[in-house]
Amino acid sequence: MADLKRRMTHTISDEELMSQVRSGVGESLGVLFERYRTPLLNFYYKLTGDRGLSEDLVQEVFFRILKYRHSYRPETGFRAWMYQIARNARVDHWRRQKPETSWKPEMSPPVMPEDKAEEAQQHALLHSALLELSEEKREVLVLSRFQDLKYEEIAVLLGCEVNTVKVKVFRALRELREVFEALESGKLVRKQGLRDAGMRPGTGSVQ
Amino acid sequence: MTCESMAELLADHLQGRLQPEQAARVKEHLQQCMACQADAAMWQKLATFPAQQPSPAMKSRFNAMLDSYQEGRWEKANLKQEHGKFLDFGAIVQWARTPALSVAASFVLVLCGFLAGRYIDRPQPANIDVSEMRNELASMRQLVVIAMLKQQSPSERLQGVGMVQQNSDPRVLEALLHTLRYDNSVDVRLAALDALSHFSSHQDVRKGLIDSLGTQQSPLVQIALIDVLVDMRDHSAVDQLKRLQQDPALDPSVKKRADWGIQQLS
Repeated sequence: MADLKRRMTHTISDEELMSQVRSGVGESLGVLFERYRTPLLNFYYKLTGDRGLSEDLVQEVFFRILKYRHSYRPETGFRAWMYQIARNARVDHWRRQKPETSWKPEMSPPVMPEDKAEEAQQHALLHSALLELSEEKREVLVLSRFQDLKYEEIAVLLGCEVNTVKVKVFRALRELREVFEALESGKLVRKQGLRDAGMRPGTGSVQ
Repeated sequence: MTCESMAELLADHLQGRLQPEQAARVKEHLQQCMACQADAAMWQKLATFPAQQPSPAMKSRFNAMLDSYQEGRWEKANLKQEHGKFLDFGAIVQWARTPALSVAASFVLVLCGFLAGRYIDRPQPANIDVSEMRNELASMRQLVVIAMLKQQSPSERLQGVGMVQQNSDPRVLEALLHTLRYDNSVDVRLAALDALSHFSSHQDVRKGLIDSLGTQQSPLVQIALIDVLVDMRDHSAVDQLKRLQQDPALDPSVKKRADWGIQQLS
C-alpha cells in the first residue's frame, strides 16, 4: 500500500504537499509521513540510542507539523522546517525528562551468525562513540552524514554561518574518530566501569 | 598547513562538493596528514551504519492521529447523497453488502475451484463443461471483487481493488470507477485509480476517468489522476482539465499540474 501511494504521488514535491496540509488536506501528510518516517527515526535513534523514544519523537514531529501547519511558509524548504520541529521536539523532551534517567542504548542484538558478529560489534562501538560526543557535535554529524542535509541547510537550522557548520563538522568528526579509536583500543572497559559507577556518558551538554 | 585551516575544504571534500582546483589541495594535504586521512576513513565508516526500519506500530499510530484530525472534515453528506446512485446490480449489491454473505461467496469460490479440479481430473466427459466451469469461476471471482468493494472497512476495500485482474468484465470496471469517485478513503481511491490505469484502452474507463476529474476533492487524487490522463494521451481530457482550472478553490499545486497536463495534451 505504501508503495502504491508512493507510486501514485511521487511527482508531488514536499513543499506542494505541505502547502496542501496547510490548507487542510490531511491525507497529504500521509505522503510526507511515508517519505520521512525512516529518516526521522534514524535521526533520533542515532542521537539518542533509544528505539522506543525515537518512535515516540517521530510521532510527535508529525503531530506538531499538523498542529503548527499554519506557520509553514511555502517559500522555505520543507526539510529544514521539519528538522527544526524535530530538534525542538527533542529539546522539549529532555526538558520534561528527569535528569536521573539513564541511557539504555539497545544495540548489538545478542545472537547472530559468526561473520556478522564482528560487523555488529563495530557498529555498536561506533554508536557508543557517537553517544560519547556532546549533543551539539553528535547532531551536526548526524545531520550532515545521515540525513543528507547540505551544509547550507544545516546553517539555516542552527542559525549560523555555513563556514561555521563546516568547521563544526570537521571538529566533530575528528573527535568521533578519536573516541572510536580509544574505545577500540581497550578503553571501552574503562567506560563500562564508569557506567556501572552511575555516570551517564554522552549527555554532557544537555540540561 | 594545519588541519584547522583546511577544515572547511575538508568538510566540502566529505560531501564531495569541491572544485577541481580545491580538490587538488585537499588531496595534497591528505597525503601528508595521517589524522585527516583517518578522519576521512571514519566518515566512510559511518556510511556502513545500519538503518533502523520503522515498525508497523508507527504507521498505525500515525493513522490514528490523522483519522482523528480528518474526522468531520470529509464531506460525508456529499458522499451519502451519491451513494444511492450505485444500485445498478440491484439484488447483487444488496446481497453483497452483508459481510457474512461475502464470506460465503469466498466459500462458493473455493468450492467451485474444488469441483473444477475434480472435473479436470476426470478422464473423459465433455471439455465444454470444464470451460463453462472456468467461466463461472471467473465471474464468481468478479462478484467477490465487487462485494469486497462494498465493505465497511477501507482495508477490505483495498484488498478488493488488489484482486482486480487483467481480464475483468465491465461490471468490475464500473464498480472500480464508482470507488474512484465516491469512496471516502483517499488510499482506496488512489488504489482504484492505479487499477483502472491498466484498463485505459477501454473506452468506458477512459471516459469514466476523465469525468471523475470533476468530482475529486483531494489534491493527491487530482494530481495522480492528471498524471494518468496525460499518460493516456487522450486529448478529450483537455476540456475537463480546463473546467477544473475554473474552480476558484483549487489547490495551487493541482492548478499547476493541470496547466502542465493541458500543455502536454494540446
